Amino acid sequence: MSASFWAVIGLLAVAAFGVRVAGLLAGGRIRASRHAWVLDDLPGLIVVSLVASSLAGQPLVTWGAAAVALAAAIATNQVIATMAVGVAAYAGITWLGV
Amino acid sequence: MKQGALAILPLAFGAAVYGFAFGLLAAQVGFPWWGVGLMSAAIHAGSSQIVAVEQFASTGTVFGAVLAGAALNLRYVGIVASLAEVLEGLSLRMRLLAIHVTGDENWALTMAERAKSPDIGAAFLLGSGFVMISVWTASTTAGAIMGTVLPDLERFGLGFAFTAAFIAMARGLWRGRPQVLPWVMAAAATIAAVSLGLPRAYGIVAGAACGLIASALLRRIHVDMA
Repeated sequence: MSASFWAVIGLLAVAAFGVRVAGLLAGGRIRASRHAWVLDDLPGLIVVSLVASSLAGQPLVTWGAAAVALAAAIATNQVIATMAVGVAAYAGITWLGV
Repeated sequence: MKQGALAILPLAFGAAVYGFAFGLLAAQVGFPWWGVGLMSAAIHAGSSQIVAVEQFASTGTVFGAVLAGAALNLRYVGIVASLAEVLEGLSLRMRLLAIHVTGDENWALTMAERAKSPDIGAAFLLGSGFVMISVWTASTTAGAIMGTVLPDLERFGLGFAFTAAFIAMARGLWRGRPQVLPWVMAAAATIAAVSLGLPRAYGIVAGAACGLIASALLRRIHVDMA
């Protein structure tokens, strides 16, 4: 495993635990501050940006599979079911040669 | 502690399936199986791990991967803060252990059970947390071992599984109409940035920043109108 792999694991472990410790030490004060909404909004915005970055510049097959995965996510609200349907849709659309 | 350990088992099964799938994906993009296990035990945050692994595999940037993964974990500030009463009376060492083994599932179960019975407390949280982190570590490691022996699944569209997982996470984070404009702004800004040739990691930061600005403006308009 390269140094970069170690760095990702080590730094993310420190960051993830740091967030928890922040909640333990100052969670009440942070939640009461006028900037607390950032904590609520940022995770969703990051995830939406991740989806958008995965789709930017991709062929129609990827967008089509994403639409099917979105429908599955809305219907099931389940990560595994969405992944399974999404990958199946991607494979199916590719196989059809669209 | 035993009560919490037993009560969490149905939820642990669901996490095991997710963990196995994550381990498989992580191995397919180059993480060794023992690195995946180490990561799960040390980080214990499913969505953060999947985001960091995907970002590292696709962009190769350590900082971007860690930043995206950590940002997704910010909800734990609120989750841990809500445990203040549950953790009362524990030593600092046990508190630190308790917050590390706390995940979405055992936190929600502890709070739900505590609402029904005030006797439910730190022991329940710890028991359920030990089961969750053990199951998560074991299932992700098992998935990664499977991922190393399977052929390259990218040609079957496995790479799209990350995108599908992010779509499912977004669905889970959806709270209603006030999110529409910030989310549209974030998506549009990210696509524009990546299309203009900016690296994906920066595109994601730009998108999230635009979304935050839109959200702040919306809140200001609501305050002014109130």
